[in-house]
Amino acid sequence: MFADQHEDPFEERLAAALHETGGGFDTDRTALAARGEARGRRTRFVRRAAVAGGTAGVVLACVGGVLVLRPGGTATEAVPSSATASAKPKPSVTATHATDEQMIETLKHLLPKGDFSEERGQGTESADDRKVPAPSAGLVFDDGDGAAAIGVAVGRVQPGGTEARQAAQCPDRVFVPYDACKTSRLADGSVVTVLQGYEYPDRRVDTKLWSAELVTPTGQHITVSEWNAAAEKDKPVTRTDPPLDPAQLTRLAAAKEWRAVANALPAPLPEPELPGSDLHARTDLLALLPKGLKVTDKSSDEGDYAYAVVDDGKGRSMVQVNVQPDMLDAADDLFGSSSETLPDGTRVAVSQGPGDRGDQVMWTVDTMRADGRRVVISAFNAGTQNEPATRETPALTIAQMRKMALDARWWSGS
Amino acid sequence: MRKARADEYAEFAAARAGHLYRSACLLTAGDTHLAEDLVQEALGRIYVRWSRISLVGNPAAYAQTVLVRVFLTHQRRRSSRERATDVLPEVAAAGVDTPLRLTLLDALARLPAKDRAVVVLRYWEDRSIEETAGVLNASAAAVRTRCTRALKQLRGLLGEDIGAYARP
Repeated sequence: MFADQHEDPFEERLAAALHETGGGFDTDRTALAARGEARGRRTRFVRRAAVAGGTAGVVLACVGGVLVLRPGGTATEAVPSSATASAKPKPSVTATHATDEQMIETLKHLLPKGDFSEERGQGTESADDRKVPAPSAGLVFDDGDGAAAIGVAVGRVQPGGTEARQAAQCPDRVFVPYDACKTSRLADGSVVTVLQGYEYPDRRVDTKLWSAELVTPTGQHITVSEWNAAAEKDKPVTRTDPPLDPAQLTRLAAAKEWRAVANALPAPLPEPELPGSDLHARTDLLALLPKGLKVTDKSSDEGDYAYAVVDDGKGRSMVQVNVQPDMLDAADDLFGSSSETLPDGTRVAVSQGPGDRGDQVMWTVDTMRADGRRVVISAFNAGTQNEPATRETPALTIAQMRKMALDARWWSGS
Repeated sequence: MRKARADEYAEFAAARAGHLYRSACLLTAGDTHLAEDLVQEALGRIYVRWSRISLVGNPAAYAQTVLVRVFLTHQRRRSSRERATDVLPEVAAAGVDTPLRLTLLDALARLPAKDRAVVVLRYWEDRSIEETAGVLNASAAAVRTRCTRALKQLRGLLGEDIGAYARP
């Protein structure tokens, strides 16, 4: 088995050759950077245009300085905001354009009592036609225990897209150190991640940054951030913690006022397809797991890889699967003389060996159909590949893993 | 985008464009036109999301991920099945074509796109197996398999003593 870091002299030579070859390519970097930016600007412009065209049936109504978008309404029809509320329009069609000042006022209105200063706001109207507006509000809030910067930003993401999924995940502690992080689902289906971390990942200054990032089922994206200092950077720490606790942060992010602001923004473009995204390994894995196992954790992404941590009452056990079309050229490496060939040409190889750590074991059933479609399932006697064994053997038997791997379900969507 | 953010982006793009371009040249096995296009696309996507990206700890690594994914998406659109390119790309005469360069690019071109991405991430970007897996949205096991397979193939194409091509 290939060792991790360039222990093979060939790998060293390959790395050197790549550096020599790669380093030989050069181009006009300034021009390339400029063309990249131009492409980004164009993308934004197209998004705006797409929205303008796609919402032709929606008209603007002005309500005491607040604009409300109502489907099928009459132009310039004035509706008191209380009437709007009592009519209970669907959240997806209520959109509130906000001025810079209104963004600030909304934030102040939603905060507890205290002193406000250094207010700044950015409304839903962009000064520059080429740019998508990025509404936000920020101020310094002092509840009596020390001045603290608080900011809110409102945007839209593709529901179910990468950004939406990322917002609903705590970052890996390996990359972002933090004291606490929790993702929870609210009653309306929104997912909120409250992160209690630091302004500087390397903690060179101990300014705390707490944030709540909320994504609704329709892709409204609200981020609230607060610091225990009067500014993000370059201001001394004024208090032990930022002023709002996780529950208050969540409430602020979940306030309906922000949803309406988000609706006034152009819809995001659908994300480009990632290779393998026509597969749905996670859904299939969860569906094919033997009955009686409790799933305590699972991967967040669909695609050609998935894992689930299961518990049969005797300890956690990670099960992972790779679904790979067109692996025929690797067949000889993967299926040796001890492998089995089924009547339909599907090859099956089973291995039961040590895992990455100490007393971990890793059981693997590798299968490849005659046309090169490969499903490989591994199970561990631990909750992750990085932690010690929690039990003697994985929670699945080889027979169960084999039955799962050979199921036609993996390929039903591709 | 606020002016400060826009300036920050411009600074970032100018600083990273060269490296991204060189990575793209390796990913495309020397197709410099496609490489330029991929970098533009990647920078464009980063521009659109800069306000969020600038908040992540390592925008440079993020940009590299975007580039690799843009490359893989491009490959997938071109062909629904991942396989090594049958027709080798025209290697543009940018820079000096040393024997090493030509041989290496030719060998890279013969790898399936995802394997090539693994090689570039592992040996050019110096990413760990786990980091590479993250970029490719694959498992560490899948990356190991691809890496082993690609190394075997490159060894066959380049010979054990790849350094013999290198300039003294």
